[in-house]
Amino acid sequence: MSADARTILAAAEEHCADPHIFNEAGCTFQAPSVSLFFPTPWFSYDLPYTSGFTKYTALLIVVVLLVSAFWYFTTRNAKVVPGRAQGVAEALVGFVRDQMVRTTMGKAGEKYMPLMVTLFTFILAMNVMGLIPGFQLPVTSNLAFPAVLALSIYVLWNYVGVREHGFAGHFKGKLVPSGAPKWILPLLIPIEFISNFVFRPLTHAIRLFATMFAGHMLLAVFAAGGFYLFNPDAGGIWGGISVGYSAIALIGFLVFTAFELFIMALQAYVFVLLASFYIGDAIEGAH
Amino acid sequence: MVEMAAEENILRIHWDEFTFGLIAFLLILGVVTKLWPRFTKALDERANQIEGGIERAKKAEAEAEEIRQQYRDKLTEAHRAAGQELEKAKEQGTVIIAEAREEAQVEARRIIDAAHAQIEADRQHAMAQLRTEIGALSTDLASRIVGESLGDSATQGRVIDRFLDDLDRGDRPAEVR
Repeated sequence: MSADARTILAAAEEHCADPHIFNEAGCTFQAPSVSLFFPTPWFSYDLPYTSGFTKYTALLIVVVLLVSAFWYFTTRNAKVVPGRAQGVAEALVGFVRDQMVRTTMGKAGEKYMPLMVTLFTFILAMNVMGLIPGFQLPVTSNLAFPAVLALSIYVLWNYVGVREHGFAGHFKGKLVPSGAPKWILPLLIPIEFISNFVFRPLTHAIRLFATMFAGHMLLAVFAAGGFYLFNPDAGGIWGGISVGYSAIALIGFLVFTAFELFIMALQAYVFVLLASFYIGDAIEGAH
Repeated sequence: MVEMAAEENILRIHWDEFTFGLIAFLLILGVVTKLWPRFTKALDERANQIEGGIERAKKAEAEAEEIRQQYRDKLTEAHRAAGQELEKAKEQGTVIIAEAREEAQVEARRIIDAAHAQIEADRQHAMAQLRTEIGALSTDLASRIVGESLGDSATQGRVIDRFLDDLDRGDRPAEVR
């Protein structure tokens, strides 16, 4: 970008400190950029490849406190006759067990229930951070967090597979499809390897990250659009039209906020469902 | 904005965030794992209690059924005993009435017999008295009518006896008329 263009842009941005539709200066709509997902660090660690202490880190601490407190206070005094809080926790555990773990792992999943419950509540809390006023940034929209969870599941998947079927048994079961003719194996094994050992953990992480990222972006666009379109001082009929546009954007924002809440729960569900499916797959061995 | 997007790779994974994410995950996993036994303990205990409760309820039901049967038996027994008592009382009543009636009949017969005997005695007595009186009277009467004394006591006696016999037979002798 030339020096001239940069000065023009700077001048326009200076002029349009508060840009709205139908303005005098002719400022156009500046769509929210991905810089939303790169909050300015509050302080830096001065280490290579670090982000510093950002909003993500702060929200992560909030999530840890919230989820730990939730489980602590709901199950600390778990009684035979449950109170309200314990009832909520039991409903949650029942949901995870009946909808995710039992359907994919059966009775063997009982051992992995704490892990799955942790995953579900942790991811759900990280997702919902995107809707809580003041926070408004889903922690899972930073790939690092879904990646660490997906990687943990990937490691556990391999560990369980090797433990159940031995090193060779696990890798053979995952790489060589049973019943395939010998001559096609040189073709199948690389495909299976890429599918099961490379893409599977990647998609596991990116599915969650991408939906949260896109959902948050969508809400940001609606919010910024509504803000840009709101210009009642435009003069004459234009003010009314801008308010009408803005109202449409507001309705869209509200509808998509509700939709986003659903997506957040759904993605947490999908992540845990896949995690328990992978672990069950490792226990089962060859497929 | 365009040049910023080139700098800001959305697929970046900063290792500090990655590490913090791992720590956060392990922390929550630790909390949940630590609390898990309490949770499952409460659930198991509940299951046990519900099972035990069902068993207790079944037992109590069986007991209640047994007691009900006992009461029913007792009630039937009581009904039967009451019926027997009533029957016995009825019988006794009949016996008492019969005895009383018999006694009364015996008593009545005794009274009647006594009365008959009395009457008979009175009749005999009256007859004897009458016999002497009528004898004297008729002799006296006859001697006055005939004018002569029936000095012969044998004849006198015979006449009187005949007369009395006639009286006894029921047909009145013409002479008296």
